[in-house]
Amino acid sequence: MLAPTMFLVLGVIVYPFIEGIRTSTGFYRYGKLVQDVGLGNYTQAFSDPAFIGSLFTTARFVFFAVTIETVIGLCLALFCAREGRIIRALRMTIIVPMVVTPVVVGIVFRLIYASDVGLLASFAKAIGVSPPEILGSTTWAFWGLVFLDAWEWTPLLFLILLAGIQSLPVEPFEAAKVDGAGAWRTFVDHTLPMLKPTILVAVTLRTIDALTTFDQVYVLTRGGPGTATQLVSIYGYQTFFTYQQAGYAAAMLIIVAVVVLVAAGFAVALMRRGVR
Amino acid sequence: MTKDLAKRIGFLVAVVGIVVVTVTPLVWMVATSLKSNREITQDGTLLPSALTLANYFGLFNGRAFGSYLTNSIFITTVSVAIALLFGTHAAYALARFRMWARMETYVGFSLLVVRMLPPIVIIIPVFLTAQQLNLLDTPLALIAVYAAFNTTIVVWMMESFFREIPVDMEEAAMVDGDTRWTAFRHIVLPLAAPGLVATGIFAVIVTYNEFLFALVLTSTPAAETMPVGAATLIGRINVDWGAMSAAGVVGALPILVFSFFVQKHLVRGLTMGAIK
Repeated sequence: MLAPTMFLVLGVIVYPFIEGIRTSTGFYRYGKLVQDVGLGNYTQAFSDPAFIGSLFTTARFVFFAVTIETVIGLCLALFCAREGRIIRALRMTIIVPMVVTPVVVGIVFRLIYASDVGLLASFAKAIGVSPPEILGSTTWAFWGLVFLDAWEWTPLLFLILLAGIQSLPVEPFEAAKVDGAGAWRTFVDHTLPMLKPTILVAVTLRTIDALTTFDQVYVLTRGGPGTATQLVSIYGYQTFFTYQQAGYAAAMLIIVAVVVLVAAGFAVALMRRGVR
Repeated sequence: MTKDLAKRIGFLVAVVGIVVVTVTPLVWMVATSLKSNREITQDGTLLPSALTLANYFGLFNGRAFGSYLTNSIFITTVSVAIALLFGTHAAYALARFRMWARMETYVGFSLLVVRMLPPIVIIIPVFLTAQQLNLLDTPLALIAVYAAFNTTIVVWMMESFFREIPVDMEEAAMVDGDTRWTAFRHIVLPLAAPGLVATGIFAVIVTYNEFLFALVLTSTPAAETMPVGAATLIGRINVDWGAMSAAGVVGALPILVFSFFVQKHLVRGLTMGAIK
């Protein structure tokens, strides 16, 4: 009963991954292996300012995006942790962005940020101020991307945290009410500590996904202007598909894979502990 | 009394605020798609003054959005069906059988780690392998990749469902003359139906929305999917904003319609897909 699954997963995911490791030790030109360079591509990566830069951009992006998503997601979850018709409809509305195709989310935000026809530009014109330059500015393009990610993925944090809040025991909250504790004290003393494992799992899972964000950047900025939004996934993609450097690109992506798998191992350990 | 009223107003203001932030970007895309290109680029109006469907007709005559749609639906359906078929059997085996040296825990763990492996880290070898096998630009390549990733999702989500079903029921059925297979199909699967539905919904959304593999493995409307089709309208110097926004709407519409029809199970599917 296991055989078809093992066959498929080994053939389509594990085998390519191992092939990728092999590719990462070669030097390629026009798609042909020229020579074996051993770990050369890896040492090159760590002395390549563009790669190091893309790692820092990715780290900054993940840090700000996931922090914002966690804080707002938690607020929304607390707000929606009650019953009622309006709240039920609101929950469905909140999760819409995470269902929308990521490429389309990129389009949506191009249409908001575009300096000539965008929503912000039209709005600025309507109230008579000069339209903001977002995708052409190195600073604002980055924050524009963070905002896009927050809009799209806060719902995920919201959903996980809402499930967490709904499964909390009721007794501590009733006791706190009897003791006359205010809403903020109850939150700090009871909700937050009990919710901590769920928050940790949610943050780790979102971080893993955010580390390899690609679709939205591809549509919104292609990494630009300059290298302002050049996340490591975009740089790796371009190194292969634009510059045809298969070995070097594979090496970079293997480094990314190691980072992700360490985080994933951590996430799995957290979840298993939660289960038992 | 006034305090209650203030609370009520505060609640409604919060609800409206959340809805506005969630929905405005999407409404703007729809509004843009219904404007003529003249109105988009020159008038800069917020809402369309004269509605036109010209942008939508353009997508289907002259561009291949009909093929993108059929490709997306075909590839998503087949790969999710394969994943459900393979994955439920594997999950059942992992949940019920004890293997040599507790192998089943390691297999389950590895499948979960594989499930968290981001597509970008194997994109190069997958592309090179598909090239060697002459599978570039065929639906088959995408179906294989999606089926493999979806199978890991199905195994991980369904295993916990099967564990919750008491073994006694199958054993009773087997005493009555059922084989392992018929007991699995007639007793276990129906009991796990809610889980199967949640898993299927999650897999459909993830698969329909996938962009990176589709971008790399396809190059013509013979195999290109919706997200790729929508993305092809972007990135040139003179952006056709009307066509791009219409492509965004058409690209996201199938999955939003799907989500709407399964909304009763959507929250469960998305939450479990994220944390299980």
